[in-house]
Amino acid sequence: MKFLNGKNVQTIVIVAVVAGLLFLALSGYLTPVFNLTLNPLVSFESWLSVRYLSARDFLTAPRDVTQLREQNAILESQVTQLQTQLIQMEERLGEAQICFALLDFGRTNPQYEYVTATVIGREISPFLQYIIIDKGSDDGLQYGMPVVTQEGLVGRVDAVIAAASRVKLITDSTSVVNVLLQTAEIEAQLNGSLTGDLSLDMIPLDETVEPGDVVLTSGLGGNYPPNIFVGQVLSVQMRDNALFQTASVQPIVDFNSINAVLVITNFEAVDITPLIPE
Amino acid sequence: MALIAHLVCALSLVVAYVLQTTIVAQTPLVNGTADLILLFFAAWSLQERVYNSWLWAVIGGVLISLFSAMPFYMPLIGYLGVVGIAKLLQRRVWQAPILAMFIATLLATLLQQFLYVVALQVAGAPIAWGQALDAVIFPSVLLNLIFALPMFALVNDLVGRMYPLEVEA
Repeated sequence: MKFLNGKNVQTIVIVAVVAGLLFLALSGYLTPVFNLTLNPLVSFESWLSVRYLSARDFLTAPRDVTQLREQNAILESQVTQLQTQLIQMEERLGEAQICFALLDFGRTNPQYEYVTATVIGREISPFLQYIIIDKGSDDGLQYGMPVVTQEGLVGRVDAVIAAASRVKLITDSTSVVNVLLQTAEIEAQLNGSLTGDLSLDMIPLDETVEPGDVVLTSGLGGNYPPNIFVGQVLSVQMRDNALFQTASVQPIVDFNSINAVLVITNFEAVDITPLIPE
Repeated sequence: MALIAHLVCALSLVVAYVLQTTIVAQTPLVNGTADLILLFFAAWSLQERVYNSWLWAVIGGVLISLFSAMPFYMPLIGYLGVVGIAKLLQRRVWQAPILAMFIATLLATLLQQFLYVVALQVAGAPIAWGQALDAVIFPSVLLNLIFALPMFALVNDLVGRMYPLEVEA
């Protein structure tokens, strides 16, 4: 009976209670009790943890922001560099495409000698349709030389200095080009205008001209070589009591976006002005 | 100081001409374009402290006439007209220089375009007045009026830096 003294009984009771609690816990009977007591604890823990992390982030943020800003600046500068490279590559690609196209034109018209020139400006007055190119008398350019692109006729050299030339476009209001309508084989005069539109004049009344007819240079007058593509007939106008038909022409060359041109250097323009009776 | 004024005016004219032929002339409204050189001359001539506008109108006008396809030195006459109008307005509307700039731009553009049309007609270009007004003159006037204010502010600032006002002690 000495074994059942007070101290041992207390130990046995504690062990029995712990064992009972363990048994109840393992068997799942204490889950509702755990939930009831632990849920608020977990909630409080999460609340505290979130606040702590926020506070820590706030306190350590300046260093990270500085680093991020530095990294951002580096990345931004890299992006800018890459964008610059991309633009340069696109420009070179565009130039290469223009050069290939001009080369194609040169190959299909091997009878002419060409000088390639870049358009560097336009006439200061809006009433005139002229462009300025970066080749001049140093490159063999002379007054009157025809200017073309891979698409067709552009105009002719109007003034030359050592390193640049001024080219009068066929859309200028004072420009007159003798042309040939390919389908109908009719000769006519192509006139420019103030607005840059092209029109055909001097078409005989008894000739049939259809929209879509191809307009080529005829070579008459000696200003331009023959058979250079100019454009297509858009519409035909026939007025009562008029001596000739007129027609609107859609130019093949987009004169607003010419970047490079070919100057035909072995064509000598013939000045027939003295032969024209006054 | 006069030498600096000449230098600044020459450089500004070169910049205006380059911008005009490369950018402004390639961005038309209908068929009209702004004229930066005209605007520069108008703004420059309206400055009270500038005395070389007639000289540079002659020099700039002659050079631009040589480069331009416009006949009979019309750019020279046009720019002299611009300076004349601006100087006239400077004396009369001196308390409101921005208003003077707008009036000078309007009158100078109309005068210049009128001279251009007449010169081209005399030279044989088939230009109709109605078409010229609709397609070129009115759009050019509008563009010049839009660019007048920034040009005036720019030139005013430039002249302010060249001739700083004396502050009384």
